Amino acid sequence: MAAPTEDRRRISSRVSVLQVGAIIWFAALAICFWVLQVVQTDKYVEMANSNYQRTLSLRAPRGVLFDREGRVLVENRDSFTISIDRELTKDSAETIRTASALLGLDAEQVKQAVDRHVKSEPVYRPVVIVQDASLEQAVRVLSRQRELPELSVEQVPTRKYPADAMAAHLFGYVGQADEDQVKAEGLSQNAIVGKFGVEKVYNAVLMGQDGAKSVVVNSVGREIRELDKIPPTEGRRVQLTIDYDLQKAAEDGFRHAGFNGAALIMDPRTGEVLVHASTPSYDPNDFAAGVKSATWSALTTDKLRPLTNRVLQGRYSPGSTFKIVVATAAMEEGLVDSNFRVNCAGGANFYGRFYKCHLRGGHGSVDMRHAMEKSCNTYFYTLGNMLGVDRIYKWAEKLGLAGKTGIDLPNEQESLVPNTEWKLKRTGERWYPGETISVAIGQGQVSVTPAGLANMIATVANGGTRITPHVVKAIDQGNGWTPVPLKAVADRVAFRPDTLAALHDGLWMVVNAAGTGRRGRVDGRDVAGKTGTAQVISNEGRARARNSGRDLRDHGWFVFFAPKDNPQIAGVIFGEHNEHGYLGAPIARHVIETYFAKKEGKPLPVLGEKPSNEPPVDDPDSPPALPAVEVADARPLHSRTAAQ
Amino acid sequence: MFERRLYHHVDWAMVGAILALCLIGLMQIYSATYNQQSGVSSIFYTQIWAILIGFVALLIALTIDYRSLADKSHFLYIAIVALLIGVLVFGVVRGGSRRWIDLGPMNLQPSEFAKATLALVLAKFFGESRRGAVTRGDFLIAGAITAVPLLLITQQPDLGTAVTLVPVLFAAAYVAGMPMRIFGILAIAALLAAPVAWKFALKDYQKERISTFINPSQDARGAGYQQIQARITVGSGGPFGKGFQGGTQGQLRFLPVAHNDFIFSVWAEERGFVGVVAALGLYLFVILRSLEAARLAKDRLGAYLVLGVLATFTFQVVYNIAMSAGLLPVKGLTLPLMSYGGSSMIATLAGFGLILNVRMRRFTN
Repeated sequence: MAAPTEDRRRISSRVSVLQVGAIIWFAALAICFWVLQVVQTDKYVEMANSNYQRTLSLRAPRGVLFDREGRVLVENRDSFTISIDRELTKDSAETIRTASALLGLDAEQVKQAVDRHVKSEPVYRPVVIVQDASLEQAVRVLSRQRELPELSVEQVPTRKYPADAMAAHLFGYVGQADEDQVKAEGLSQNAIVGKFGVEKVYNAVLMGQDGAKSVVVNSVGREIRELDKIPPTEGRRVQLTIDYDLQKAAEDGFRHAGFNGAALIMDPRTGEVLVHASTPSYDPNDFAAGVKSATWSALTTDKLRPLTNRVLQGRYSPGSTFKIVVATAAMEEGLVDSNFRVNCAGGANFYGRFYKCHLRGGHGSVDMRHAMEKSCNTYFYTLGNMLGVDRIYKWAEKLGLAGKTGIDLPNEQESLVPNTEWKLKRTGERWYPGETISVAIGQGQVSVTPAGLANMIATVANGGTRITPHVVKAIDQGNGWTPVPLKAVADRVAFRPDTLAALHDGLWMVVNAAGTGRRGRVDGRDVAGKTGTAQVISNEGRARARNSGRDLRDHGWFVFFAPKDNPQIAGVIFGEHNEHGYLGAPIARHVIETYFAKKEGKPLPVLGEKPSNEPPVDDPDSPPALPAVEVADARPLHSRTAAQ
Repeated sequence: MFERRLYHHVDWAMVGAILALCLIGLMQIYSATYNQQSGVSSIFYTQIWAILIGFVALLIALTIDYRSLADKSHFLYIAIVALLIGVLVFGVVRGGSRRWIDLGPMNLQPSEFAKATLALVLAKFFGESRRGAVTRGDFLIAGAITAVPLLLITQQPDLGTAVTLVPVLFAAAYVAGMPMRIFGILAIAALLAAPVAWKFALKDYQKERISTFINPSQDARGAGYQQIQARITVGSGGPFGKGFQGGTQGQLRFLPVAHNDFIFSVWAEERGFVGVVAALGLYLFVILRSLEAARLAKDRLGAYLVLGVLATFTFQVVYNIAMSAGLLPVKGLTLPLMSYGGSSMIATLAGFGLILNVRMRRFTN
């Protein structure tokens, strides 16, 4: 039974319509695929690649710091960093909530950290939320990787500094590059750079070159395999001039003595810094993986200012140590020789006022050597009066005490020694000769850094060559140690033999005869030195400020070198509020003993029991009550009255 | 009932094309589910069994004269409706919907078999009509026949499969001579109903799929994700593809269900435009040969039956392939012959058995 022809015709024509329709549909599909796969391939290949390829930055370890004998001082350890990968984050707020709960963080802080990066950085770069995470935190994230693919744990090299915050101000610390550095040096937002100390000054050498790793990840962000890896290049190794044992000896010395302060000790022949210490200190390890805000605010609000590097940033009155400058100036200017004698009757009159010596009865007739030994004020008043302030300034500068030493560490303050021009510029007033008298014993407008005094005593020790202190000895540029060229000598004056002999003898007598530095004496080492007291406040002011709660006790200085002839070690011990310069001398002694013990291969000395504080009845360094004009000088300039 | 000479009239070329598509699908399932650790997935072996059983079903559907089948089709219809009700009562719940009846080693998805059954019933209905053209009354009755299984399937819920029943109705009605005027009225009615449906009938997730399709980037991590990934998968395949198991999108699971809904995307990724054209060619060949069978059919019944079976197949193929390229909203529709799925494979092959049946018997009485 055949279908009626009418039906057949209708079916046939309608099927034809469907055939044409099918062909058109499939042609349309083919065209769509052609557009996607042939015309737009590149675009989609790139999108597919960014789907499954991740490029991770591999942080380069910073260069290792060695001491002068090749012992490791600062190295790197591995730490965990936890980051959020924004590409894998579905709901940012939810991720932040979950991550904070998982890691025990404050959600608000995490949110801020993430927000900081949102605009400035490409979305594929992970945002670090925890630096230096604990092992427990890392494990928590790893164990929930499947549910939280957007969290990742990475091992990064982190700075490791020696224990007990040793030489913290010398090493400085590292931290995340700030906006300016990121822009200026083209660093990445998470880059770690030196912020202070050697880490800052030698950052370019120490930083190394970050590497990169590109990996294949699946849809939940799990790493499947590695595609390509550019290993990071470790920063250059740097050898410091510091001697670990001496540094430790000095810091032990401060701890033993029980006061804060600073020490800068160097080789007076080269300017190589052997010890650079400043206490109280901070632990640079706290900064290595991002400083916590509580730690930071504790450090910045501490009244003892642990972040201040007292060696370079503290400025104090030099007190009696300044007499060395005056003595040098007087002899080198040819005004006097070492036999020049002054009769001290417990003080002397200058410009109508009486300037006291610390010894009420007077020292009698003293020559240069004995004046130095006894720290006779009258003798140096006289020399200062003969010199005038400008010649004192000239020699302070020649000895390296005025201005900056030029050490290769950041934020050095200038040491201030006044002169007539300076005063005129500063205050618009001329210099009164009476002011010179107090300058001659290191009072008045003289204000110096420990580094400046160390430089001065080194110049005196080596006979007149002003060297530049420096802390880096050699850098390994990848082909062995290359010594860092010494900076050109800043100034060279060969002292007259008489000057040199008188200075060295006088300073030797301070320590080895009837002087104030006897606690610095080391048998057979001919230590030479000079104590000094830096007045914190004028005697008048002290009475007024008695109840202010400020620590008004004086600071003490001890400058030294050894041995007297051909000195090998020279430096300064600054004791903050320790009242007596001679209390710093045992620290110097311990360092000197350690220095020579090492040199001769003997066992290193150990600090004994805490010495009984046997205060000498009379400290000759104690600042004399100077006549009114000088006392007024100790006050801030704006409150000064034109007294004369 | 079976005559040897009929074998000479079997469309072997179409059988070859169908088999080729099954093998391509099998290869992609292997590629997508092979695991470094656990080796070849059990899914792969399940699919081999499905293909074998499917060809047995094809043979059975081929052997029995389609006229006898159509004659008894009301029993099949009743059986399938009963099964669909049974699913709603006893079905296995997976992924939030109740679609399967647990048969031990395999799960049966009755909705897949509803398509061919509906094609048979509607072919019989339109074929028995003595009038020259389909009237409005005929169409309403045919619509009611379609609506029963369709509504049952939407209750599972499985809107995707339910919708595939609609082309069966329209294709059969169209070839049966329904006036174009009625198609026009229906189209206008659908347009007018769309906003109402949007407001009342669609569930939130369905609305989301549609709005995401219009602007995928509004939800690049959520519903728009698959659509974007589908385009990336296809586009990154380029002209010649990334090679067998060389795809990154499917292999690293950026595109989900690469062995199922998105099998064509992964085929396009690994075999490129060349592979796409080959697969599209095979599908088109199968469709054109089937239409040819409808034209050659001995009687109206045969032509309507072929069109009914073919309509749901074509609709699913075109929709799935367009979806694979991110051109249509993502919907749980598999690609017949290639995607993983036992019931779908068996039902599809049985349907082609019917088409071959019609062609084979074009000369018999």
